[in-house]
Amino acid sequence: MPTLKPSQPALPQIVPAGELRHLTPEEIKPSSNNPRHLFDAEQLLELKKNIAEHGVLVPITVYQAKGQAKFSILDGERRYRCVIELKGEGRGGKGGSELKLPANVVEPPTKIAGLLYMFSIHNFREAWELMPTALSLKIVMEELGERDNKALSKLTGLSDAQIERCKKLLAFPERFQELSLDPEPTTRIPSNFWIEALPVLDLALETVPTVKKLGRDPATDKLVEKYRDRKIKSVIHFRRIMESYDLSEDEPAMRAKVVRRLEEFFLNPKLETRDGFDEFVVERKRVQNALTACQGFLAQLRRFKLKYTTDDEERKNLRRALREVRDYCKSLEQALVGSDDPEAPHG
Amino acid sequence: MWRMINSVRAALRFHDYKPKPLSFGSASRWIKQFERKDRKLAVRLLNKVIYISEARTRDILVQQNAALMKRLAAAGLPSKKLIYVQVHDAGSSSPVMLNLLRDAAGLERLGCKFVDARDSLRLNKTMNEVGVGALIYVDDFIGTGNQFCKERDFAAKSFVGTFSEFLLAPSICEEAFYQISERGIEAFTGHVHSKAERPLHANSGVFEKEEKERLELVCKGVNSKFGLGYQKLATMVVLYRNAPNTVPAVLRGSLNQTPFIGIFPRWKDLPVRKIE
Repeated sequence: MPTLKPSQPALPQIVPAGELRHLTPEEIKPSSNNPRHLFDAEQLLELKKNIAEHGVLVPITVYQAKGQAKFSILDGERRYRCVIELKGEGRGGKGGSELKLPANVVEPPTKIAGLLYMFSIHNFREAWELMPTALSLKIVMEELGERDNKALSKLTGLSDAQIERCKKLLAFPERFQELSLDPEPTTRIPSNFWIEALPVLDLALETVPTVKKLGRDPATDKLVEKYRDRKIKSVIHFRRIMESYDLSEDEPAMRAKVVRRLEEFFLNPKLETRDGFDEFVVERKRVQNALTACQGFLAQLRRFKLKYTTDDEERKNLRRALREVRDYCKSLEQALVGSDDPEAPHG
Repeated sequence: MWRMINSVRAALRFHDYKPKPLSFGSASRWIKQFERKDRKLAVRLLNKVIYISEARTRDILVQQNAALMKRLAAAGLPSKKLIYVQVHDAGSSSPVMLNLLRDAAGLERLGCKFVDARDSLRLNKTMNEVGVGALIYVDDFIGTGNQFCKERDFAAKSFVGTFSEFLLAPSICEEAFYQISERGIEAFTGHVHSKAERPLHANSGVFEKEEKERLELVCKGVNSKFGLGYQKLATMVVLYRNAPNTVPAVLRGSLNQTPFIGIFPRWKDLPVRKIE
């Protein structure tokens, strides 16, 4: 009958900080933040060629976490990756010896130093994940008592806009933040959802009494429900709501309509964002574009000073083109007669 | 007579298997399903099962944990600096193992912390609070290591502070060690499940080639897609609370246990009882 064979790793050897060691890749632990996607493949290839030829010349920096046998990398992840790849290809060091990395062993970083290192990794990261970054930024803000964007930007390397986005995320209660940390991608609420939803929430709480009465968190719940029910098909669509509101700035009747629609949007779970707000945005944009085009067309024609055209053939062509424009404009102008009022006589 | 002896033996050995406790009758029925010429082979396979009972599971976890705690204490990490992490959803094996260990080793009284790897916010807060410490993942069985590493990598996005990482599990397959080690996680286990001790694994020489092929065929007949278990691992470790999905199909049986009855059906393999 088979027997159980227990297995425990060997006891870690405590290495004093400040020592230069030559470590095999097996003795090294890569960064916890899974930095495999960090590096430019071409640059990595160049470095790999160099290491294959000369070995690792500049020591990497590592520390040993308490109780851990392996050394964690603080600086030199790329050199480590190259050595791993070279080893995988069966390459050895000079004289057929095992490929090793010179490593300066330093004290483990403090919490803040570790976080700032993580930020420096993230600055080069393609797949930027905002919520974990926001959580780390929160710790930096709390530990250092710093809230100024410029100072935080200097510390973390994040841009002002990124810090602002993180702050927006942190403005939501934790139970909402958790939704963006869901391990299941299918049920996870993207971090951008909160950033795009925030101005809409603020607007609704400010302008719609029923939403104000409902309260911020229940109103947020309504948006989450809508998103899950695909009634907010893209988080970008929140912008249509803000655009609708902004475009109606000089028209009180339109503004009142937008606010009514905003109320309906929160209270009616079936109302989809585009269904609710496209009429304020698409139509108006189209008309505004047309108005700009009309003005541009007239200005251009005036600039051409066409009344001095003398060539018969050219005058004939021009008159034909202008007639076409006139006919189209006349038909369009006629189609636009009328109003939203069903009682008004149609022209 | 032969069948009776082997059925009694199996029933005695595996009587506390939770999803479906094994009786003399069910062991006998399991053997009887095989063609007469395959029965001896089936019983030989059954004898190669590495069964880890509840008591043994508890003992392994407690022993390995004691060794780990001792090592961490020597490195300057007292128990209040240790965060025990469950790596899968509630109801799955990891939280069950963690509860078992917590109660048996009195971890709560020692001031250890407990977090679900999926609860990133809590993990982040706890790590922030502890600052320097150790993360100890607890699970029952690690097969390829893919699932464990996926969960751990997701959790790693919220890591803060300086932490060493360890894995406690009653049994770990040799395939998983590379992935786990690559992440700098050190495993404390009661059993490293080698390929060599799995009779139906491609790299094993426990059975003769013809015997292996014959049983593989029977396994395929039970489950055409996962006859040798997930990723053809053909593992032989069975834990009291559930068999891993990497065991050969003849041990698990068909879905809903028809037409082929398993000796170690997983909870998911059993027919759902209708509520009147």
